[in-house]
Amino acid sequence: MAVFDTPQEAFGALRPACVRLTRAQTVENVARLRARLAAVSAPALQELQEYVLFPLRFALKVPGPRRERLVQSVVQCISSVLAATCVKKQELLQELFSELCTCLSPPSSSSKPARLSEELKLAVIQALHTLMHSAYGDVILSLYQPSTLPLLGFAVSLLLGLAEQEKAKQIKISALKCLQVLVLQCDCQEHRHLDEEEAQQCGDLFASFLPGISITLSRVITGDIKQGHKTTVSAIRLFYLIVGFVMADAQLARIPKNKEKLPVEQSRISELMVHRGPDWSKSTAEKLSLLLHKMVEFSSVHPHWKVRLELVELVHHLLRNCGRALVASFSHLLKAVVGLVNDESSEVQSRCNEVLQGIAEQRIVAQNRALADVLSENLHSLATALPRLMNSQDDAGKVSTLSVLLGYLKLLGPKINLVLNSVSHLQRLSKALMQVLELDVADVKIVEARRWGCEGACRPSGPLQRGVQKGRAQKKYFRFFTEERVFQLLQQICRVLGYYGNLYLLVDHFMGLYGESGAYRKQAAMVLNEVVAGAAGLGVDVLREREVSLNVDDLKGSVVSILDEYTDQANWYLITSIDTEEISHEHPVQRSGLAARPGGACGSALLPAPEPHVTTRTLNSHIWQICIQLEGVGCFAAVLGKEFRPLLLSALYPVLEKAGDKTLLISETALGTLGDICEACGYDSLQCLINENSDYLVNGISLNLRQLAHQPRAARVLDTMLRHSDASLLPLVEDVIQDVLSALDHSYSTQASTFLGVLHSVTAALAQWFGASRGEEQTGEWPQGASSQGQQVVTRQEVEQFFLDYVRQKQIAEGNLPDAEAEESDEVPPPAQPEQTSSDTAGEAPLPSHAQLAKDVMERCIHLLSDGRLRVRLRVLDVLELCVTVLHPHGNHLLPLAHRAWPALVPRLTSDDPLAVLRAFKVLCALAQRCGDFLRQRFCRDVLPKLSRSLLSQAPASARAGPVYSHTLAFKLQLAVLQGLGPLCEELDMGESDLNKVADACLIYLSAKQPMKLQEAAQSVFLHLMHMDPDSTWLLLTEVCCPHRYEPPHASLRPVKLRGMETQRNEFTDNVLLLLERLQRRESQEEPSPP
Amino acid sequence: MALPPPDPQFVLRGTSAAVHTLHFSCGGQECDVPILFSGSENGFIHVWNLKTHRVNAALDGHGRKSVYCVETMDGKDRLLSQGRDQRICLWDLAEGRTSVTDSVFTENVGFCRCSLLKVAQGRWLMAMAKALEEVQVLELPSKTSVCTLKPEVGAKLGMPMCLKLWQLNCGSQPLLLAGYEDGSVILWSLSMGKVLSQLVCHQEPVMSLDFDSEKAKGISGSSEKVLSIWSLNEQQNLQVYKTHNLVNAGISDITIRPDKKILATAGWDHRIRIFGWKKLKPLAVLDYHTATVHCVSFSDHKNPSERLLAAGSKDHRISIWSIYTQT
Repeated sequence: MAVFDTPQEAFGALRPACVRLTRAQTVENVARLRARLAAVSAPALQELQEYVLFPLRFALKVPGPRRERLVQSVVQCISSVLAATCVKKQELLQELFSELCTCLSPPSSSSKPARLSEELKLAVIQALHTLMHSAYGDVILSLYQPSTLPLLGFAVSLLLGLAEQEKAKQIKISALKCLQVLVLQCDCQEHRHLDEEEAQQCGDLFASFLPGISITLSRVITGDIKQGHKTTVSAIRLFYLIVGFVMADAQLARIPKNKEKLPVEQSRISELMVHRGPDWSKSTAEKLSLLLHKMVEFSSVHPHWKVRLELVELVHHLLRNCGRALVASFSHLLKAVVGLVNDESSEVQSRCNEVLQGIAEQRIVAQNRALADVLSENLHSLATALPRLMNSQDDAGKVSTLSVLLGYLKLLGPKINLVLNSVSHLQRLSKALMQVLELDVADVKIVEARRWGCEGACRPSGPLQRGVQKGRAQKKYFRFFTEERVFQLLQQICRVLGYYGNLYLLVDHFMGLYGESGAYRKQAAMVLNEVVAGAAGLGVDVLREREVSLNVDDLKGSVVSILDEYTDQANWYLITSIDTEEISHEHPVQRSGLAARPGGACGSALLPAPEPHVTTRTLNSHIWQICIQLEGVGCFAAVLGKEFRPLLLSALYPVLEKAGDKTLLISETALGTLGDICEACGYDSLQCLINENSDYLVNGISLNLRQLAHQPRAARVLDTMLRHSDASLLPLVEDVIQDVLSALDHSYSTQASTFLGVLHSVTAALAQWFGASRGEEQTGEWPQGASSQGQQVVTRQEVEQFFLDYVRQKQIAEGNLPDAEAEESDEVPPPAQPEQTSSDTAGEAPLPSHAQLAKDVMERCIHLLSDGRLRVRLRVLDVLELCVTVLHPHGNHLLPLAHRAWPALVPRLTSDDPLAVLRAFKVLCALAQRCGDFLRQRFCRDVLPKLSRSLLSQAPASARAGPVYSHTLAFKLQLAVLQGLGPLCEELDMGESDLNKVADACLIYLSAKQPMKLQEAAQSVFLHLMHMDPDSTWLLLTEVCCPHRYEPPHASLRPVKLRGMETQRNEFTDNVLLLLERLQRRESQEEPSPP
Repeated sequence: MALPPPDPQFVLRGTSAAVHTLHFSCGGQECDVPILFSGSENGFIHVWNLKTHRVNAALDGHGRKSVYCVETMDGKDRLLSQGRDQRICLWDLAEGRTSVTDSVFTENVGFCRCSLLKVAQGRWLMAMAKALEEVQVLELPSKTSVCTLKPEVGAKLGMPMCLKLWQLNCGSQPLLLAGYEDGSVILWSLSMGKVLSQLVCHQEPVMSLDFDSEKAKGISGSSEKVLSIWSLNEQQNLQVYKTHNLVNAGISDITIRPDKKILATAGWDHRIRIFGWKKLKPLAVLDYHTATVHCVSFSDHKNPSERLLAAGSKDHRISIWSIYTQT
């Protein structure tokens, strides 16, 4: 572009334009000059700088009214010259500076800024900006002498006026930018770095402007939001730059005590100068604090994130440079930056974190006691206000309030102990936490949700296969907030406290609160859990590592004392259910148990007074307390890791106790805790944990069994152990199961139902671990009957028996009937006897331990079969069934027991509540699988008549009944009996007359009027009967209905007449035909040739 | 109303055989783990860690024959055990070793526990039953015989059943109290090798005795229903001081607590009884075991509040009781 490279050429080119301009100051001439200038290279122009500037400056100085357009173009031209050259003379700089400034000053000496066009203002500001940048090296400093103070002051006030009062955004921003350059704080890197001395001098000068600048800027910053964020951002930036410069700790520290005397000739000017002594700085800091407060309030909620970001920068800058001078303002500043940690803009967040990190890393707080005091003061007032705020604010407000609190704590870092050591601070803080963390205990569901695992016969296979399940904290419902984030913040607050704070002090204090009132107990426990987690550095998000990491022994000590408190009787055994059974069994006795226990005297004082009416709220609250304590145990385990193992001695038992609790929430939480413990202590699975620590558990169980009041819980622990372990546990707990049995022996009347629960779980576990064979047997009903006979190993006795039978049958067939006496004496011994003798001959081979246990349990059950309480009887029948299952392979032992149990079982089958009959029938079926011979006669004599009577009598009812009937007990009983009767007949190998009785009773259920399920069950009975005695069944069925005509093969034979032939199609037809068809098929399959 | 008897503090299981003898070693440095030694019928000596309540080690040195006496010699690293294999073994347990360093063969086939007395640093006297009616005293660790105490011919005392070596104070003459099968207790002088005094306390064999040298009083129990307390006067004569009748017969072990305030008996009736030593006032009946209690032992914790009582029983369990806090 540059055409004229040498000064000569340039001069030649520029001269005409300059001359012209000097003669006539018109816009056109200026424009011409400008056009020429564009063609001149920068070095050439530098040579001609003053020459070119002369006509331009002259144009500005021309007396008479000014023409704005001219001035504007001249100023623009000047700035284009300056942009290309640099000013090397002090005088020129000063003159240009003042000339440019005067362009904006009002013509008369009125105080108001001149009413000039915005373009002009902008041009002048830009020219000034360019001028400041074109000043060469030290030359610029000539502007910053005491003597030029008035000039500078003029410029500053001019620019401030523009920044504040102009409407145009661009002017405002440019004015602020220009001002920034003017106070030597330009953002660009071109400027010379000031040395200390120079900076000090400039600082002295700028101090005079500080009040004006700061007040105006604060007005700009807090002005209308419509001015746009850029203005505000620039104003904030300028504000902190100037304040940070003038109030810099480094500069103030070097200010001499007294004001220096300036030479006499400058005395007028020296009056303008400010002495930045201690008094000045103090009063200035106070005033600034007010301004800062206002600004921070305003801009921390500014809608534009860049403004908030700049605010963070302000805090950062001031904190770094003026940590001492502006200490009074920091409470606001820190509050702002701490609050902005949760800003919605991620830039602001991350910058905030950086700044806080920086603050912490440079140990600004740690080294500055005053700052720590400010923070702790803030903390105190915030803690005081916290409950009120949490009550009144919305969730977002709560989040911001709490993040401020958290920020304070993080900033304080190790200095937290300063706060904690002050009683009032600690009180405030802890009370605030207590109130905020209050749980909502109104939910009824929590009280109602029960765990029914131990009841159902079908044990879910889930828990056994389930490996280590990490405990996840239950979701809690708080009174004052619902947002999860709020809780997380509170958690962090507690953890940070624990991380930096004195653990002993904290634990002691919160334990005090824990014990102080039931109202605080849950919250205090929650805080304690988090504090301990924090102390171990678990899940804490902090700005700076603490100096001394925690001693494991200290941690362990604290954990032990908290654990002791948690598992204390008064805090661990709370009423959590209004289940009458549980209450009557546990709690009244528990109190007496407490009194009986020598160490429990102090514990009972803490126990909440027994209330006659326990409200749901109380129960809910108790449940939560236990859950929180359980979570605490899990947390402690996580904190201590393998170090927790020795504590299992005391901690594992109570947790297992709760794992067996009936309240769903508690048992789930306890399982979670167990998962945590497994993980922390390095056990692969829950089963592993239980097995390896079974000695501790067994010890606890056996000791607790000795106390009547503790028995239900001890039983529960055993139950849980069995539930979550496998057969390998058995040898370890065998001992204690014996203890349970002997405890039961001592208290049949009172504790029977408690212990039956355990016996049930014991036998269920045994059945599951050792009774696998039974399941296989039950799977196939039909084929098994046929195949088992084929596959059974034929023993010698059987072969012998077969031949004896054969011989006898043959004799009978030949008419050789033996006399009755002989038959009775040697041929038909009582059915039980052969088995008995065989058991004798087999010898008393030692039973495997599990069978021995089942036997012991069964013996107890026999006593309890006729208990007065239906519930107990039902339980006993369940247990009995399981016992029988376990004892299946050990017939020698099962038979005598069956013999003893029979008399008590019969009334259950014949004259008890339908529920009991139902279960007793199941027991019967189980027994029949093994002791068929033994039962045959007794069943037919004692039970069958009653059963068939009741089947017959119920049939009309079920035939009439509607769809709801299938939910009634009567239906279930019918169904169970019909389903069980078939296999029973077969297993008992019943005689013909008895089979007929069964068939008669069941026939009526083949009616199409009966519910479908009953029909199917009745069909199954007949299928079994067919298997046993196809011919008579065929006859019976054809009596009812006969589809075919049987033509005699020869005329000499009489035609076959069956009663079913004549009958019309009736309600039985369908089922009977179906059965006959099945029979036909079976016959043809088994024996291809007709019989 | 008196407080009901306490429950055991905890119960140690896992010996899988009847427990015949117990010995605490808890008097060491604070950081040391308190230890309980137990000897059981299957010939194992179990070393129980009383912090974790678990077996630290099981020592097998008596050929699976019942171990009925375990004593420590200066701390828990040197152990003496006596078993039914007619051997008395000396163990070195330091640094986790489990080796038998020395052993003494006893001719006796009875159940008489040996008695150990420390006479000087690194020097012990051990009395043990020998042959039929004799008691032999050896010096350990040199195993040199000090004397053999033989009752007069025709005394018909039967076998020695229990022994107690003691001395009035350090440096004075060691004496031996021995209970015999015929129910008599004899005070022997080791230096003269002769009977100083004889007292017939029981109709049945003396099963166990303990002696309090400060009060010069001792107590013995037998298979009958009587506890006999006797005193030793200045002329070294034993006199019956008092007898105490029990409900159930049979005492298998008697131990006076080291502070001489109470004593504990192990009964065949499955119960442990606690008496005040001064007047033999019955204090408590500790009922936990389901079979004969074979032995009782008090711990030697330095801090009195930590002290424990342990009882071993035929039901394979060792019950640990904390009864100091209440008495």
